Amino acid sequence: MSEEYDPDYKIDLDKATCPNREQRAKGTNVYYGKATELIKDARAGNLKCKDRNFQQTSGCVLNFYLTVRVATIRDAAIIFHGPVGCSSSSLGYRELFRGIPTELGRPEKYELNWITTNLQQKDVVYGASAKLKRAVLEAQKRYDPKAIFILTTCTSGVIGEDIEGAVAEIQPEVKATIVPIHCEGVRSRLVQTGYDAFWHGVLKYLVKKPEKKQKDLVNVASMLSYTWQDRLEIKRLLNKVGLRVNFVPEFATVEQFEQLGEAAVTAPLCPTYTDYISRGLEQEYGVPFFLYPPPTGIRNTDEWLRKIGKYTDKEDEIEALIEEEHKVWSPKLEAIKDEFKKLKGDGEIEVLGALGQGRLLSQLPYFDELGLKSAAALTQDFDNLILEDLERLVDDIGDVDVLVNTFQAAEQAHVTRTRDPDITLTCPFQGGAYKREKNVTRIHSLRADPDPWSAQSGYAGAVAFGNFLLQSLDSTSFQKNLKRKTADSYKEWWYEQPNPLHYLKEETSK
Amino acid sequence: MSTKEDKKIEEEVFDNTLGTEFVEAPKYSCALAGAYATTLGIYGVVPLLHAGLGCGLGQLFGQLYAGGQNAGGPVGGTSTPTTGLVEEHVIFGGEDKLRRLIESSAELMEGDAFAVISGCIPSLIGDDVEAVIRDFEGKVPLININAPGFSGSSYEGYELFFEAVIDQILEPLPKEKGLVNVFGIVPYQHIFWKGEVDAVKKLLESIGLKANVIFTEFNGFEKLKEIPKAEYNLVLSSWNGHRIVKKLEEKFDTPFIAFPSVPVGPKQTNYFLRTVGEKLDVSTEIIEEFVDNEERKAYRFIEYAGDAIILVRPHSYFAVVADSNAVINITQFLANEVGYLPDIIQITDNPPEEYRDAIIKEITDKLETPVKPDIFFENDSHLAREKLRDRPFQFLFSSSLESPTAMSELGALHVTVGFPSYNRVILGDSYTGYAGGLRLMEDFISTFAGPL
Repeated sequence: MSEEYDPDYKIDLDKATCPNREQRAKGTNVYYGKATELIKDARAGNLKCKDRNFQQTSGCVLNFYLTVRVATIRDAAIIFHGPVGCSSSSLGYRELFRGIPTELGRPEKYELNWITTNLQQKDVVYGASAKLKRAVLEAQKRYDPKAIFILTTCTSGVIGEDIEGAVAEIQPEVKATIVPIHCEGVRSRLVQTGYDAFWHGVLKYLVKKPEKKQKDLVNVASMLSYTWQDRLEIKRLLNKVGLRVNFVPEFATVEQFEQLGEAAVTAPLCPTYTDYISRGLEQEYGVPFFLYPPPTGIRNTDEWLRKIGKYTDKEDEIEALIEEEHKVWSPKLEAIKDEFKKLKGDGEIEVLGALGQGRLLSQLPYFDELGLKSAAALTQDFDNLILEDLERLVDDIGDVDVLVNTFQAAEQAHVTRTRDPDITLTCPFQGGAYKREKNVTRIHSLRADPDPWSAQSGYAGAVAFGNFLLQSLDSTSFQKNLKRKTADSYKEWWYEQPNPLHYLKEETSK
Repeated sequence: MSTKEDKKIEEEVFDNTLGTEFVEAPKYSCALAGAYATTLGIYGVVPLLHAGLGCGLGQLFGQLYAGGQNAGGPVGGTSTPTTGLVEEHVIFGGEDKLRRLIESSAELMEGDAFAVISGCIPSLIGDDVEAVIRDFEGKVPLININAPGFSGSSYEGYELFFEAVIDQILEPLPKEKGLVNVFGIVPYQHIFWKGEVDAVKKLLESIGLKANVIFTEFNGFEKLKEIPKAEYNLVLSSWNGHRIVKKLEEKFDTPFIAFPSVPVGPKQTNYFLRTVGEKLDVSTEIIEEFVDNEERKAYRFIEYAGDAIILVRPHSYFAVVADSNAVINITQFLANEVGYLPDIIQITDNPPEEYRDAIIKEITDKLETPVKPDIFFENDSHLAREKLRDRPFQFLFSSSLESPTAMSELGALHVTVGFPSYNRVILGDSYTGYAGGLRLMEDFISTFAGPL
């Protein structure tokens, strides 16, 4: 039986939430091997979630992105229905976008609001739906928001809170649209289930039936790992051909969600992040979408623009734009490639990236474009939503080892040490793997970074990121000092044995 | 909207560190987070989170980064082992997973002891964690901390950690004269924790005493086990650590001396050293010589700030919105050493009811100004913000939450002095002692300093 993604799959908005990625897309939390083998195993249905005897904290459905994402939606209020600790990672809410100068497009005045229902002992014994309802009423009174998101937690799930019932009961009493998001940490091993759960709520409650089609509007779901400059670059390019961008969900207004169904196309930054909303908008409102490629690197930016051109009847304008942009940016990228070549003489510079599933697809072709070799790729999880795209990628750039491991830090440290690439691109989720003798840099900056230096998307981003990587080759002192002068997280035997998946438990979990 | 039910809840006495109702962005995390942060403060003890997949990662953002933009160190953040409980464990229990995690962690990670911190899920599904831990007796040194997030705030997690240590690890030891333990400073939650324990230790050593500050000592587990040796316990908080020192008094007959907070600046530090010295029979000569010397130097240095203060911002109104410890020592320093006027004080850490009068008294009784500040206990960041509007204060000492809008909304210069502190990185800094007072002056004067 084929285990490819079912093209006839229907999103069921009558349901309270989406299926887990494990079910909808046969997602897995572990794999180590060649990309070609991964594709084969995925097709054969051999990918299963597995348990580990040694595991490290790496994020849950709620606490990977949702806590730090949904709380940035303007004119909304967020209610975390859980104990106080589930939402402490949202404490940066008031500061997140403040560092962006108003000259770069940040509104002068805006408010972000979230509250926790602060569940405690008596609530878990007696239930807390009355408290949740009071929180909704209070949110309406305090903030007068357009939408009130309710995010669930392990505790609200395990004690069996009837969220849908509470929402049905309280909605008539408040002006704001209530959007319940079922994102209990315990529901899935794959944090990407959280994206789908969020988009399910958006599709079900916020997106309005289109009154008119806006032929010049392009939906772009931009997640926290794409910076403000990436947005500006995308906006710059699309504006040049008379198109407008609707960036959701972060720092968007509720109205922007309402309009999603009116757009001409939904375009990806991160394909796997955008998947559910893209399919849902097509299914419900006929908004076409594409998931590949993302606009990373010059080659893929060209393709990305062409696809948008197709859906907006701007094909000629896009070709003219591409030509014009190439004149500016291609020589710059060539210069970067030459620099890399000079640095390594006859060999190739090897990079090892800690990527999400989406960045697996976006960064590897870009590294290839720069003439860098990808020693291997570390990815958070993997599912059959990107099977064909991965296949195409392997055709384009050749086979590559892939470690799927939900950012398990010890496994990543092992792979980094044993592969010993020239540059390792890390993120905070990689633990101490940055302590090494060779080069280290980050895989990406974050949404509120306004520095053109940090951009990665579009043409300007391709050049900026190339220069950024070049710059990283001039620096080793920080990681070297820390490697030599501070403790490693693991005993030496860990690195001496060959298997990063040493602690994988062989029997499959549910 | 006020219903009968609302009323009942408002009247309910706070019997924990959480308050009772929903709240916007409270300035602390949960009990699991506090126990986790406390463990990370003790070098050599490895935290094992018996909890959901994202509990540790959530606290990396919401307790560690928020605690002075600090990472977790070699066993914190994503290096922290966890059972990562999901639905199947909810159904079948998480005990087996915990057993396997303890075995593998002890095999893979360097640790003098391992602290099993159990969160909401094991508590809700009724895991028998104690039984699992018993199986490792004599094999792996373990501390069992039951800290479900719904049982309390980060501050509660600190108490739970030490209560577990007292119950499970500590044995009576002969007392060592002149040795004191230091409690009341909660790692990460008190954002200056590293600098505070270091400064307190040095101050006590300066008058010939020895201090076991436990945190940031490389033999942290040994330091934990030495707790019963102390002649006295010092608790440097109006409420944090009080349960711990009372328990230690019961169990090991160690008396304690309570201070309202860590001392900031010459006046508070003099009082601290004299009080401790007297109790521990340090000769008055030693104390006075040290105090005189340090005080003289501190004021000689403070004099350098005289022109900036007097010419630009003399006798200014200020507001403090922070935890009890910071509220007390900063208000006293500014009012009694800089001549500033306390306008409004909001206490964000939700101290249990029984400690509240003493905290208010501590703030008001010692003020060397006729100005009486309005004092509120307020853990809701929205309500705290509302209470700050239309007031005369020119300086706001608070968390980084208020920093972006302090000037535009309130016309106040802002200094981050409390949790969450995302915009202020604190590696070893603190306001403790004579030098700490100078540091506080540098910080707030730098918000307005310029050519005169």
